[in-house]
Amino acid sequence: MSAALTGFLSSVLKPALDPVGLARTYYEFALTQVGVSAMSALMGAFRAIQTQPPQVIADTLLETSNSAPSDQAKIAQSIVAMWYLGAWYRPGQTGGGGFPPTPMQVISSEAYTNGLVWKVMQSHPMGFSPFTFGYWSQQPGPLSSFGVNTGSGGGQ
Amino acid sequence: MKKLIILFAALLVSAKAQTQATAPPPIVLSPVIPGDVNITAKTVSIDAFQPDFDVYSWNTFIALNWPVGPDGKTDPRQQIGARGDNDTVWEHYRDVRDVFLPNGKKPSWNGSPQEPPVPVKGFKKGMAVLSQVGKTPNVLTDASQPFNTGPLIDQNGNYTRFQILINKTMFDYILNNSLYSKAGQKVFTPPVNFTCGSLASGSKPAVEGAIMVKASWKVIDPSEQSQFHSEEVVVCSPPVKEGGKPVCELKTMGLVGLHIAHKTKSASQWLWSTFEHVDNAPTDADVRSGNLKPKYNFYNPKCTAQACPANAIPPRPWVPALVSSFHSQVVRNNMFNLPIYAASASARNGDAWKLLLGVNPNSVWRNYELISTMWPTDPGNCAAVPGDPLGAPAPTFMANTTLETYLQKSNPPQPNVSSQCIECHSNATMTVPVPSDFTYILQRAQ
Repeated sequence: MSAALTGFLSSVLKPALDPVGLARTYYEFALTQVGVSAMSALMGAFRAIQTQPPQVIADTLLETSNSAPSDQAKIAQSIVAMWYLGAWYRPGQTGGGGFPPTPMQVISSEAYTNGLVWKVMQSHPMGFSPFTFGYWSQQPGPLSSFGVNTGSGGGQ
Repeated sequence: MKKLIILFAALLVSAKAQTQATAPPPIVLSPVIPGDVNITAKTVSIDAFQPDFDVYSWNTFIALNWPVGPDGKTDPRQQIGARGDNDTVWEHYRDVRDVFLPNGKKPSWNGSPQEPPVPVKGFKKGMAVLSQVGKTPNVLTDASQPFNTGPLIDQNGNYTRFQILINKTMFDYILNNSLYSKAGQKVFTPPVNFTCGSLASGSKPAVEGAIMVKASWKVIDPSEQSQFHSEEVVVCSPPVKEGGKPVCELKTMGLVGLHIAHKTKSASQWLWSTFEHVDNAPTDADVRSGNLKPKYNFYNPKCTAQACPANAIPPRPWVPALVSSFHSQVVRNNMFNLPIYAASASARNGDAWKLLLGVNPNSVWRNYELISTMWPTDPGNCAAVPGDPLGAPAPTFMANTTLETYLQKSNPPQPNVSSQCIECHSNATMTVPVPSDFTYILQRAQ
């Protein structure tokens, strides 16, 4: 489900050789925030359409065409934000005055450094870089080398 | 990720030829340095893979500590520890102080080691000279520089000494590319790419990749020699007073820590094995439970946490030539996020000790333990993946209490703060602003 929601390959979000274990951390964190019932309902909605293309799954669960998304869709949005920013935003929380909302909590330092937003930017977070000296003088690697699903793969 | 899957799929195919079912292949008493890890795990998971890496580490430790003949090369006719202790293979590698010579002079593999800077009574040609009192290379020779990571002072008030050596594969790469001098580095066409080790495959023999060894030594009493791998060496310290002469003395030194870094086909970020003397320090859990030994190399069990705070950097001034009234109170913090790392190391330690004691019940090598092996889970194939050059290392953090004493922040460990071999070494460059393939030693070029 997270692969479809984020556009990343599931092998990137939850690799077989997974030294960090963010998928488990995120699942358990979200569960404590939204409760078993809401999480089960969201997972159930996913399972009902899991054979659909990833974009369809994402549009459906996030209710992208709905100007007033349901509470369940807001949870899906928070899950996307969690993967991308390594932080938990209360479902439905909005910012104000042109500013984004403030997260309830950055989940961990590893969540911060492994936020998907840095991969999409082909960049790195402030204060931590996986790249070697002088990387800034070279073109970044292709998006596919960052695990972004640029083809038809992923989604489940 | 595709590269990872292909690489490990290949390794798993080769693993099918193994007869092992659930346990990793046995540690062997062999003088042959493994060219790479031998993955025999039948499932792809950290829990399944880590034991194979730890077996690799012990096999490497045994081969590097194998006895040598009069020519300084591995003597396969002997056995490790048969006489209790023995001269070792890695001590005949080239010390980096003999690779990066004054004025960028060309080094040679067989040249004599540099002699101490002042005359030393009892000095014999070829004796090792230890002077480094901090882990980072720039504190080796420059007494006016602060020791960035702080010195480690044992329970007798003596400063721990450090040494960095490289194998011939790494030496030859440096020599053949003229990276031993600033001038050579300036005209070098990047990237720096040290030789990758590999296992034997078909008719292709195994290849020994570039290997770096970092050793830490403490002054020991001759009566303690049965507990340590020891050497009589020259220990040099910066002058006690500015403008004075260095202080050099013959000392009996016992090995307390050993890092082994090996660049291999399965690890373009290198494999990082770290070993320690078993009596270095208690774990934080041991301290909490009061499960303490009567004596440690770097911990006083009789001193309270208030009087002797754990892992505190010694107060200045740091004067290695003198005996210090401050004694480091070292505790091994648990930096592992998965239980497999400690469990696998413990199991492999038990297996290795059994073998070593089988050779000789008084083997000094029984007193060394593997802490863990750090390896990249997404390594590329002897060349880093652009999106994640660090290769997603496992474990995520790891420290040797004698080499990263003050970088053990835990609860939880933090990137750029807590010890992480691959992440730290990925920042290394030469004397020109060019990445140096996970080694800082090229910065020593003159």
